[in-house]
Amino acid sequence: MSSSHEAAPSQAFLAEEVRRYHHFIVLALWLAVVTGAEIVLIYLPLPTAVIFTVLTLMSAGKFFAVILWFMHLIYDKRLLFWCFLAGLVLAFATYAAVLALFSADRIDTRWFS
Amino acid sequence: MSDHAAAHEAPTSTGIDHKKLIMWLFLASDCMFFGTLISTHLLYRKLFPAGFTDAEGHQRFIQELFSIELTSFSTFILLMSSFLMALAVSAMHKGQLKSFRRNVLGVIVFGLIFLGCQVYEFTHFYHKGLTIQNSVLGSTFYVLTGTHGTHVAIGVLWLILLYFYSFTGKLGGHMGALDVEVAGLYWHFVDIVWIIIFTAVYLVEYLGPYGIWGSGLPAVLK
Amino acid sequence: MSHDSHHAPVACKTELAPERSDLGLYRPDRATGWTDWLTTVDHKKIGIMYGAFAMLYFLIGGVEALAIRTQLARPDNDFITARMYNQLFTMHGTTMIFLGVMPLSAAFFNFLVPLQVGARDVAFPRLNAFSLWTFVFGAFVLNASWLFEFGHLAGWFDSFAWHKALVYTDFAPANGWFSYAPLSGTFGANGQALRFTGVGTDFWIIGIQILGIASLAASFNFICTIINMRAKGMTMMRLPVFTWMTLVTSVLIILAFPAITVALIELMFDRAFGANFFNPSAGGQPVLWQHLFWIFGHPEVYILVLPAMGIVSEVLPTFTGKSLFGYPIIVFSGAVIGFLGFAVWSHHMFTTGLGPVPTAAFSLLTMAIAVPTGVKIFNWLGTIWGGRIRFTPPMVLALGFIWMFMCGGFSGVMHSSAPADSQQQDSYFVIAHFHYVLLGGVLLGLMAGLYFWFPKIFGRMPNAPVAYLGSALVILGFNLAFGPMHYLGLAGQPRRTHTYHAGNGWETWNLVATIGAYVLGIGVVIVFGNLVWTAFRGKKCGNDPWDGRTLEWSLPSPVPEYNFAQAPVVATRDAFFEHKHGAKRIGAENDGGEAGVHMPSQSWMPMLASAGFLFIGFGMPMMAMGIPHAGWLVIAGLGVLFLGVWLWALEGPGGYMLKTPAPAGAPAPAETVAR
Repeated sequence: MSSSHEAAPSQAFLAEEVRRYHHFIVLALWLAVVTGAEIVLIYLPLPTAVIFTVLTLMSAGKFFAVILWFMHLIYDKRLLFWCFLAGLVLAFATYAAVLALFSADRIDTRWFS
Repeated sequence: MSDHAAAHEAPTSTGIDHKKLIMWLFLASDCMFFGTLISTHLLYRKLFPAGFTDAEGHQRFIQELFSIELTSFSTFILLMSSFLMALAVSAMHKGQLKSFRRNVLGVIVFGLIFLGCQVYEFTHFYHKGLTIQNSVLGSTFYVLTGTHGTHVAIGVLWLILLYFYSFTGKLGGHMGALDVEVAGLYWHFVDIVWIIIFTAVYLVEYLGPYGIWGSGLPAVLK
Repeated sequence: MSHDSHHAPVACKTELAPERSDLGLYRPDRATGWTDWLTTVDHKKIGIMYGAFAMLYFLIGGVEALAIRTQLARPDNDFITARMYNQLFTMHGTTMIFLGVMPLSAAFFNFLVPLQVGARDVAFPRLNAFSLWTFVFGAFVLNASWLFEFGHLAGWFDSFAWHKALVYTDFAPANGWFSYAPLSGTFGANGQALRFTGVGTDFWIIGIQILGIASLAASFNFICTIINMRAKGMTMMRLPVFTWMTLVTSVLIILAFPAITVALIELMFDRAFGANFFNPSAGGQPVLWQHLFWIFGHPEVYILVLPAMGIVSEVLPTFTGKSLFGYPIIVFSGAVIGFLGFAVWSHHMFTTGLGPVPTAAFSLLTMAIAVPTGVKIFNWLGTIWGGRIRFTPPMVLALGFIWMFMCGGFSGVMHSSAPADSQQQDSYFVIAHFHYVLLGGVLLGLMAGLYFWFPKIFGRMPNAPVAYLGSALVILGFNLAFGPMHYLGLAGQPRRTHTYHAGNGWETWNLVATIGAYVLGIGVVIVFGNLVWTAFRGKKCGNDPWDGRTLEWSLPSPVPEYNFAQAPVVATRDAFFEHKHGAKRIGAENDGGEAGVHMPSQSWMPMLASAGFLFIGFGMPMMAMGIPHAGWLVIAGLGVLFLGVWLWALEGPGGYMLKTPAPAGAPAPAETVAR
């Protein structure tokens, strides 16, 4: 990325932008396809565990595709990726623990719908 | 203005612009924010997979309320708005202000369509008996999706202001592109949060007889 | 563009030509006096204001503490009512943590971080001002609950219809600093939202929410400043330890505060809109509040203590004449403490019954966190070992920090054992533990920092005999007050109970604790009085009175608004000490040249945006009181906030050029100090 303001972007810079433009289009198509596949998947007569695993993977795939390409992390400095990943991993680990700490068989659910 | 700002933008130690760095830090922080909200919802789904009781005292399941068509449509709209946002940022990098305006207008319209879908969904659910007050499910669902909707609304407002600002002639150069890119990062983040919500809140409820949370705990579903 | 004209460099900002922002309004750049302080974006002035407010709230929190101790001085006392007692201990805890320690740490962050990394300001100067004013207004909202409480007690509201309709009339928060649900929440099915407490809780919720926004904004800013604005040659492993600890603290804040933000939103929805997040009548889990609170609350403990550890790591090398022993290990330990701080929150909740596996896991992780803390203490001892120690006031307080903090750490390790903890839970033993950590640790560390950097901040030296007297009284009074509480706790005296009967064997030590508290109070007043006197009347001192080691001591005292006449180029850790006594000089980069250096423009907008929180902060509790049309106050607040941010964006960064006095070349040689 150009670090200083230029009146006219250089040829190499423009070529890079055009290349990214194609990445964006391909990614947008993939996102649409994967989302469609997700919707079909939930109606397929497969074991719940299988569908759940595939859904999780697809969701994670879409998530990282957007942060890497649309949000430029793949083009930008590595530090930004680690900054974001710190928050992401911490949130995931903390709340996985919280979810594990609660369980229905340890509370009295009879009184609530 | 942009020339002036660019002239005094001292090189940073890491080569990353301050604004971009602070936005990524904010997004890292927002991961914890939405992590808390999403896990609150999932936690109560895990504890009470059976849904809620409506005003007439009928046992209702969340699956009765969901409309996969509507949710898929709004998900698709938000994903495509993200695509247009990426194009808008790209246009700013190339200094193509007109292309930027066209794309960002698309993002704004798509964002408004998403918000419209959400308003429709909320009123629909409300009429079907789910309120913020009558169950834990209503509280967590409306507050989680409503907070996401608030993020979308703030993003739309931000982009509208940027759109009109672009007509003043002050949005340009490296700093102008950076301002748009930072707004874009925010927009994409709102989109990826929805990617998670779409799977964790909506899709998994279609698995098994009464959703992923119910299928593991058949006794409670009776 | 339009305002390039004002780039004609001036030597003093009051000489600036009148300059308009992109909005066409005049920037308050040439302001002096009050306007200057209200619109400043100078990190040093913002730091001083943070410090002044923090010291004010320390005194308010201290008065609350003394009222508590007076009530407990003898059995069956009725000095204050039980209700007032609950409000006092709640506001004492909240005030000391959010309005005392955190802003005083923020004062040091603000003043020191740009100086220590060799920058002219923080990355976002106006955002920094926004943090300050948001903190000031949030603190005001929280304490305004007292005004309502006193108005209620004086009977001012008795004739109003909304007041007659109130079920609970406690206007000041009374839930403890953690506001556990369901006490702070609601009960009753179908959105009845019946409350256990009055609007004090609503003041607490919105007040903490606003203070959280202030802390978050400041932390984003500091991380950016430290990562992105380091001088040439200032690699991460050459950063002063205080700056490192600021970085770790800021990371903790941005990752821990969202949890409490969401928890507060959920609690607010419960109370204001009848949601059921923590409502036990509808299946809400009050224990979830505890989890969310401590996911924030435990990192918060390290948010409080790490800055003090950073200060001590600066003070000890200076007054032993040695470099810090094991710098990389100290930095690494600080980061490990921060990381582990997120993995131990449930040790506050052993008695809620987590189950054997989680209890064992959290117990072990809690014990593990003692390791990096112990590593730091051994490194500090290694620093002192064999050094030529000068017992200046900051050194005395820093040594007190190590000793007292260690005592607090020992009782902390006792808590980490779940079986022992279930005996100590909610007893005075816990009070003793965290006061040894927070007062014996953090407050002594912060006081050491105040005495250490006051000569830099104001160019004046605090009176040493008075400083020794104050420090001695603080340490003596503190041990008298909190030492006996270990015994009282193990003898069974419960926390948060406004009185106790005679005959439990608690009378003597409670009286001793109260006497100690008053001695401590006198000590704190002497210390703060000495500092305030110094700021205005103290004896002038040189630029480097302590033989300092880091970049800030290379600057004149008080520090000029542009900080560095030329950007420094750093070749080593402890750069200024090496510059004076070693082979490696601090270089200079003539970055401004003839044009002078670029200074950020002052602005009213951060304060305007913050003022929105004032409206929201009063509107929400007034809605809960049932005052008609109070909701419009909230909407007006959101409007003001939006307007402030919008105008802030539109006015543009601005800026002017300032001519610095020094010619090109290295900084002036340091004044030599008798060592």
